[in-house]
Amino acid sequence: MAVSGDGRLHAVRIPDRHGYAVEFSPYKPSTLACATSQNYGISGCGTLVVLEQSEGGIAVRRSFDWTDALFDVTWSEISENIVVTSSGDGSLQLWDITKPQGPLQVFKEHTQEVYSVDWSQTRGEQLIVSGSWDHTVKLWDPSFGKPLCTFTGHENIIYSTIWSPHIPGCFASASGDQSLRIWDMKTPVSKVVIPAHQAEILSCDWCKYDQNLLVTGAVDCSLKGWDLRTVRQPVFELRGHNYAIRRVKFSPFHANIVASCSYDFTVRLWDFSKSSSLLETVNHHTEFVCGLDFSILTPGQIADCAWDETVKIYFPSCLSLP
Amino acid sequence: MHRVRVVLGHLPANSRGIWAENSSAAADKSQDIVIVAGRRTPICKAKRGGFKETTPDELLSAVMTAVLNDVNLNPELLGDICVGNVLQPGAGALVARIGQFLSGIPESVPLHVVNRQCSSGLQAIINIAGGIRNGSYDVGLACGVESMSLRSVGNPGDISSRTMDFSKARDCLIPMGITSENVAERFGITREKQDSLALASQQRAAAAQRSGRFKEEIVPITTTFTDDQGNTKTITVTEDEGIRASTTMEGLGRLKAAFKEGGSTTAGNSSQVSDGAAAVLMAKRCKAEQLGLPILGVLRSFAVVGVPPDVMGIGPAYAIPAALQKAGLSVHDIDVYEINEAFASQAAYCVEKLGIPLEKVNPNGGAIALGHPLGCTGARQTVTLLNELKRRGKRGFGVVSMCIGTGMGAAAVYEYPGH
Repeated sequence: MAVSGDGRLHAVRIPDRHGYAVEFSPYKPSTLACATSQNYGISGCGTLVVLEQSEGGIAVRRSFDWTDALFDVTWSEISENIVVTSSGDGSLQLWDITKPQGPLQVFKEHTQEVYSVDWSQTRGEQLIVSGSWDHTVKLWDPSFGKPLCTFTGHENIIYSTIWSPHIPGCFASASGDQSLRIWDMKTPVSKVVIPAHQAEILSCDWCKYDQNLLVTGAVDCSLKGWDLRTVRQPVFELRGHNYAIRRVKFSPFHANIVASCSYDFTVRLWDFSKSSSLLETVNHHTEFVCGLDFSILTPGQIADCAWDETVKIYFPSCLSLP
Repeated sequence: MHRVRVVLGHLPANSRGIWAENSSAAADKSQDIVIVAGRRTPICKAKRGGFKETTPDELLSAVMTAVLNDVNLNPELLGDICVGNVLQPGAGALVARIGQFLSGIPESVPLHVVNRQCSSGLQAIINIAGGIRNGSYDVGLACGVESMSLRSVGNPGDISSRTMDFSKARDCLIPMGITSENVAERFGITREKQDSLALASQQRAAAAQRSGRFKEEIVPITTTFTDDQGNTKTITVTEDEGIRASTTMEGLGRLKAAFKEGGSTTAGNSSQVSDGAAAVLMAKRCKAEQLGLPILGVLRSFAVVGVPPDVMGIGPAYAIPAALQKAGLSVHDIDVYEINEAFASQAAYCVEKLGIPLEKVNPNGGAIALGHPLGCTGARQTVTLLNELKRRGKRGFGVVSMCIGTGMGAAAVYEYPGH
């Protein structure tokens, strides 16, 4: 299944579209969805791009336009053709990527830009969580057009909302108010508020191997690890990026590895269990790198997207070592 | 442009202009053009005020001397002087050189003058910035001066008989007051809007004067003055003369249109005809640091644009976005705007068009209250702006902008480094 050989970097240019998020399909190792925007997401429209890898490279299979910028994308856990995007106009779009005519559903409740959307990971329920610049998180049942709940408490823009892969009904959010918050979907008020950085926090993620471990990436250029049982001090701190960290993800195949992408144009891989934790710096973009994902079906493969109009798929050498 | 602001907020404070930061011209801070110091004279009413007999070389000499004394700079270090002027013959090339010698600046220091009409004082700053930027010298003095008592707007010079065959050329001859009426009519700027802007200008200037906010920038001028009885005496002018703290909406509302029957532009909502001068000492940052000079501000960008001559007052609405874009900033990133109030109509139009919050515009009043000595204004605004940012203490950004007769607008973006 794994692609072999040394020509392991595939790139595709999406003209006039600046990448904000890229996610591998959890069903097919060759398929990816990318949320892009015109004019760096400042103005103009957005495009959901479905990409297909083959032996020869990577190509755009389909694209779907929306009237405002698209900032995030998530794959459905119930159907291999369903994708949800979040937009600058405050809406979420639910697309069937086999149907070119437009979104099946549009959920419009947020009053400002929606920067994050995530489909629940645990098997118990099929829910979507979205985080917005309107300072709220909303919970959605994709079969029902109204939010099930609105979560308030953040005092600034919410940049990231991610379901726990272990604890049913639990998700984390990261905000410009410098806090990381942990929520139970049955309670509209956050139970755990972690003042994680003294700067805006642009991204967070859950460890796939330890249900108590999260990572945050912030404008202060640092990544911090948080154990929910001892939130006073971070359990690790990773420094090396030169500008704000835009997205961070734990590896699905390595318990101690995280990847981060930044306004410094780089993607970096880290092993937080080691004293010299920076494993590799990937410097192949010429603009802000906003989107990043590990393939869960092809070990060691990563995709990223940047404001330089390109999506790149590759195998960082540090992940291919035994 | 909320999204621009949010993304810029993710970048370090000293690179609020991301595009500037990441471009090849990326900031080598030592090459910044900095404002070291700036001073101005009080602004007096033309033809009846304190400077009605004072020649422009004297006004210039007062501010040139004051600025050099403020920072104790050896005048021999000046690489060039530029003086903005509109009404003197040849933009005051002779008068300015005389002003230099009255100030004790040696003959070895060269001087030139510039006339871009109401932006001449700002253009002088930009000319000196250009000289520093292209390596001709590291320290320069930019000034602006106008005596509207001794010279009047009038003689258009020698123009072609074919002027009337070209509509834009013809429009250059439209009196400024009529261009103001054109702006008001074409863009629906009501008399009430104009008067309320004029009232705010008067009230803010009065408050600034009352609380001594102009003290630091004004150089008191001792000069001779002949009163109504014909007695000539020596007076010292320390404050702006045009400010009328007692202005009311009712009072403004009673004034007749000054340029056109049934019009909305009045003596109360137009800039005053005035005398004054201002000087700004500039340097390359590394040179300023080497000489131990203070840094009052950093010139971040400048833009000048052309607009239709018959609505010349809209100039700032086009020049400001152009300058902001060069600086990598948005309208909301700016803390203080000094927008010249040639007429309340055009100033109100520009502020509305750009969506600038009113409280950020001319916080210490504008030309309606203070006066508009044509060639001096751009330099005067720069001095007032940087002093206001300095008073606020925090690192901040400011814009100086004005409309220009015959259809142009100019704007400069300054940064105050904070203390």
